[in-house]
Amino acid sequence: MAKAFGIITSSADKKVAGLQEYRSIGAFSFLGRYRVIDFPISNFSNSNINNIQVYIASMPRSMVEHIGTGRHYNINSKRGKIQILFPDQTMANEVYNTNIKNFRRNIEQIKKMEKEYVVIAPSCMIFAQDYDALLQDHAQSGSDITLLYHKVTDAKKGYATCNVLDLDGNRVKGISACLSDKDEENIFMESYVMKTELLYSLIEKAAAVSSIYSLSDIVNAELKNMDVRAVEHKGFFAPITSLRTYLKANIDLINPENSDDLFKKDWPIYTRTTDACPTQYYATTSVKNSLISNGCLIKGTVENSVIGRGAVIEEGAVVKNCVISAYDKIGKGAVLENQVVDKYATINDGTKVIAPAATPGYIKYRDKL
Amino acid sequence: MKQNEMLAMILAGGRGSRLHDLTNKVAKPAVSYGGKYRIIDFPLSNCANSGISTVGVLTQYESVLLGSYAAKSGLWGLDTKDSGVYVLPPREKADSDLDVYRGTADAITQNIDFIDNYDPEYLLVLSGDHIYKMNYDKMLAYHKAQNAAATIAVMPVTLEEATRFGIMITDEDNKIIDFEEKPAHPRSTLASMGIYVFDWAKLRALLIKDKDDENSSHDFGNDIIPALLNGGEKLVAFKFEGYWKDVGTIDSLWEANMDLLDENNELNLNDPTWRIYTEDAAPLPAYIGPDAEIGAAYITQGTRVEGEVKNSVIFTGAEVGKGAHIIDSVLMPGVKVAEGATVTRALIANDIKVSKDAVVGSADSKEILLVAQDV
Repeated sequence: MAKAFGIITSSADKKVAGLQEYRSIGAFSFLGRYRVIDFPISNFSNSNINNIQVYIASMPRSMVEHIGTGRHYNINSKRGKIQILFPDQTMANEVYNTNIKNFRRNIEQIKKMEKEYVVIAPSCMIFAQDYDALLQDHAQSGSDITLLYHKVTDAKKGYATCNVLDLDGNRVKGISACLSDKDEENIFMESYVMKTELLYSLIEKAAAVSSIYSLSDIVNAELKNMDVRAVEHKGFFAPITSLRTYLKANIDLINPENSDDLFKKDWPIYTRTTDACPTQYYATTSVKNSLISNGCLIKGTVENSVIGRGAVIEEGAVVKNCVISAYDKIGKGAVLENQVVDKYATINDGTKVIAPAATPGYIKYRDKL
Repeated sequence: MKQNEMLAMILAGGRGSRLHDLTNKVAKPAVSYGGKYRIIDFPLSNCANSGISTVGVLTQYESVLLGSYAAKSGLWGLDTKDSGVYVLPPREKADSDLDVYRGTADAITQNIDFIDNYDPEYLLVLSGDHIYKMNYDKMLAYHKAQNAAATIAVMPVTLEEATRFGIMITDEDNKIIDFEEKPAHPRSTLASMGIYVFDWAKLRALLIKDKDDENSSHDFGNDIIPALLNGGEKLVAFKFEGYWKDVGTIDSLWEANMDLLDENNELNLNDPTWRIYTEDAAPLPAYIGPDAEIGAAYITQGTRVEGEVKNSVIFTGAEVGKGAHIIDSVLMPGVKVAEGATVTRALIANDIKVSKDAVVGSADSKEILLVAQDV
């Protein structure tokens, strides 16, 4: 068992059009059968971090239902637990709804953990990471905080609302918003390793300086007083920061080169099963380069798409570059391109909804069109 | 149902030797079916969905895998307080030596102490190797309404099939007046499904008597049912209509899988009101590659298909390489078919590898080819 407990932060500062009106980013369906939160929780569980706190800023229903007792994440039922923690109240002006405020509201729960270290991970980013290895590196390095980052070469697109690290070797010189016009950047993965004591003092300092400080703000402000180092993450990485990046992350993972990198035999990603039966395909089916969940009926054409559990694609329907969510019904002859269709939606026979790849469309939860 | 009003005992000790190499290392109830299930998921899910909370699984032949699987009570939701799935292989006792289960009835007799712990009013006896969905609570209600000592589930079969089953001869009120095991000239077409509800006190007394009877084969069909009839007890038939399959042979196992390709098949595994539960192996959704050709097929998650699949069932973890053809076939869990290979009218056993460009099975073969070694 690791000497650390885990914190998964809420993603109130990220805005994904459409989907986020119904649930927080962590509770978004992902790749047909998962939710985004399955990735950080599985990372902790696989890293032997069995005490996990999940912070939710708003709209808890879908997240609470999905996480439940946490038994499906393979967390020891006696020696570990998952807590779901709320801020109790949210402020009308969203700048006040920081993760620091959420920590302060639940400080007694943090104190109860009695672990020497804390590992903090985001609920809005898809990646695999061995936090136990990171924890050991951190302890050996003697530094105050270790941060995780991912080097990208397309920083101009898709990383809005992410932060970047200014590095000198592996020393962190600054944390700032990704506003750059450079292609190469070190995207901050909102993952921290530090002593629990240090987290307490950062929470108190942040509150003393500014009511709108988040954890990354106070770490940035204190950089000159602390030894903060960064470790580069290798492998698949996708922050869910917009509808476009959400669709792209799903479609990128159809490619086995990417999915093999994220889903390894010794690093399972756990989720809640719905006991759906296998998917039925018909003589009229044409499916190319797609991921298909269980419980679907597929009579039409599906290309380059991810299909959620229990979806029905009728004869003559054409679905290209789409995320079709659980229990959607796509009618006969309907055509969808570059769309994210939220759960339980019905697309009537013959309806055509086509968007350019750069600005994908969103079809609302339980909508009919 | 009141908790433990009726206890279920699943007979899961048989090898299923007509399944040949498929049951070399596992008992028949543990054989895979329908893309993601094992056969024993059906009686266990039926129990859970019927409100039965305690289930004994009587194992004997190659029981290690089956036993460890059935013991995961939570898979079927049978892990609430005072409920559970208990795996019961033969055991040594203070007053008797270790003995194998000598017959289906003897398996129950040797576990009278287990059943007595729960003090049930009724005992449900099931077979672990049948594929069907059934509400046992309805059967119990019928048993009570009829005030019977035993109720036997029956289904209509053809006259030809009747020669292979235990056949119940009933009067107009479904009262069983006679019973014939595999008759050459059947007098009825109502076949016993091997599903019994007994008044536990009556069955218990009979089993104790049967235990030391040297002329008995200690079997429900051969000994217990005739003894009840001869003793003047009221036995009734509970008519079942729907999908029921005893997959005794490779051909029938293949056929039961192929039945799933029909969207309107009677088994309907896509029924949200009567789910069949099974182990979740935490895999990705099915990956269908850019050059894949999918026709009528039943494909589960955790698979990779890059070739052609027509009229086939693909199980968890199976892979079909580029340019490979899978026609009228069943790929069991973990089967890997390399590029360019062709599989026709075959059932490929768990974890078998079919090498590049290999040709397996043929469209004209009368019987389904079982492939149980790498080719």
